[in-house]
Amino acid sequence: MTETPGRVVTVLIGDDEPLIREVLREVLQAEPDLDVVAVARDAEEAIELAGRHAPAIAILDVRMPAGGGAHAARGIRRRSPGTRIMAFSAYGDAGSVDQMRLAGVTEYLLKGLPNADIVAAVRRMATDD
Amino acid sequence: MPDSSSRPSRVTDLSERDARLLLDNIVDYAIFMLDREGRIVSWSAGAERIKGYAAQDIIGRHFSVFYPPEDIAADKPRRELETAVAEGRLEDEGWRLRNDGTRFWANVVITALYDQHGELRGFGKVTRDMTERRMADLALRDSEDRFRLMVQNVVDYAIFMLDRQGHIVSWNAGAERIKGYAAQDIIGRHFSVFYPPEDIAADKPRRELETAVAEGRLEDEGWRLRNDGTRFWANVVITALYDQHGELRGFGKVTRDMTERRTAERALDERGKLLTHLVHAQELERRRIAWDVHDDTIQSMVAVGMRLQLLAGGLPAEHEDAVLRLNETVTAAIGRLRNLTFHLRPPEIERDGLVAALSGYLKQTTAGTGLRYTLRHELDREPPYETAITIFRICQEALTNVRKHAHASRVTLTLSSVDHGVTVRLADDGAGFARPLDAVADTGHFGLIEMRERAETAGGWWSIRGVPGNGTTVEFWLPALWRGEENRLP
Repeated sequence: MTETPGRVVTVLIGDDEPLIREVLREVLQAEPDLDVVAVARDAEEAIELAGRHAPAIAILDVRMPAGGGAHAARGIRRRSPGTRIMAFSAYGDAGSVDQMRLAGVTEYLLKGLPNADIVAAVRRMATDD
Repeated sequence: MPDSSSRPSRVTDLSERDARLLLDNIVDYAIFMLDREGRIVSWSAGAERIKGYAAQDIIGRHFSVFYPPEDIAADKPRRELETAVAEGRLEDEGWRLRNDGTRFWANVVITALYDQHGELRGFGKVTRDMTERRMADLALRDSEDRFRLMVQNVVDYAIFMLDRQGHIVSWNAGAERIKGYAAQDIIGRHFSVFYPPEDIAADKPRRELETAVAEGRLEDEGWRLRNDGTRFWANVVITALYDQHGELRGFGKVTRDMTERRTAERALDERGKLLTHLVHAQELERRRIAWDVHDDTIQSMVAVGMRLQLLAGGLPAEHEDAVLRLNETVTAAIGRLRNLTFHLRPPEIERDGLVAALSGYLKQTTAGTGLRYTLRHELDREPPYETAITIFRICQEALTNVRKHAHASRVTLTLSSVDHGVTVRLADDGAGFARPLDAVADTGHFGLIEMRERAETAGGWWSIRGVPGNGTTVEFWLPALWRGEENRLP
């Protein structure tokens, strides 16, 4: 809401858990400066939708079907180089974090954070030049 | 009168004749007389046999002819007569000469002989040839010495003696090697120091002595303690020792370190295979539970929390608070579930090795607790997976106890390769406790029993010791043989 009106951040969500997909979409959509343009249920779909929509931000689960978050991140960077990728995971262990970092993910959010923190992280990524 | 006067004299004559007969027939003793100066005045068959002189060759000569030159030089013959005069008799053992110059070992008794007026008449001398007896004694002493020497120097067996109460009265090189005590540190102590606390609690040392008394001997296998607190798998034989009167004198104890053999045998038998199977099945189960909790329970609860926050935003203030409190409850529960899955999740032992997995776990589990840790390891090589995972799980449990109960600021984890296995020691500087058995028996410390069971199932041992106010040490050892290696053990 601190963003300049008119400049809307487009977001892609990739998560295999329907409850998470839906609620995350609503949380972000509730913010006027954020627009969820696509929601994917697995890695391949996330890559496909990212190629089609070129979102500013992609929020990816780490463990999901058709290759997982790391595979999705690599595909998205190839198909939509401008998209910044954020991990949104129930796993905070070093192995999972390293795996995503190697795939080009710069922000790693642990599931269970307050909604406000998630929104803030998305905005920070979008404005971070 | 003539009759009455001649009768006693006849009796005397008879008696002297009998005495003569006796002397002439005793061949085992040289019995003869010396005059006051030490000259030989009578001789006997035994004397002739033992010393090799015929009566006519020796009577009238001084008895010092029987003494070797060194005794002559020391004036021994004269001194012996003086002593016999002064004390009535003298007994001596020593070398004496035969007529042919050879020596024999003599037992000599010289008795001073007085007449009815108290006048010294001379000396009676009884000499016995003890050469054979002495040789036998020497041989026996020699064999006893050799036997003692052998026992003292045997290093493969701890061989020692206990008194009737069970106090250690002798020690050998094997005992020192196997148990780690020097003789001066252990003699006089009770043999129960070798038994682990659980055996002491079960009164095992006393019962073993009782059985040895009742049945003559007792054989047992089990864990025993070394001086440094580590354990070894012992084969023990206790034998009750009786003297010739049937009186119990004490116990002989022979202990052998069977740790390596037991390790090799267990690796080969069904238990070894079963254990491998069990460890893998357990880890698989844990992994499954961890994934389920993560992928299903935690995700759903995260979604519920996010939904509650969204809802709260659209509600009047009084309802908003209630819903936000609900959200906090959900968030706290998520935190606890995360800890649970962190605990359950299999460590990356196969990928990174045991030490790296432990290091990672220590780092994560102490983060933000103020607990500092040190990890030391002197491992020859990576233990097999089943051993590594068991070590990891026991350490995990022990560390949970440290975090929850010890109020410690520092914890030190040490791993070292010992006896074809791994010894692990986890020491903290926390509250400690007085009696390890209370801690183990306390149902509140369920984890202690679990740790011990894990170690023992794996064929190892586990112990806990502590000093009130001075920290607790959990120590355990697990065999760590790679497949096929058991054949190369003794």
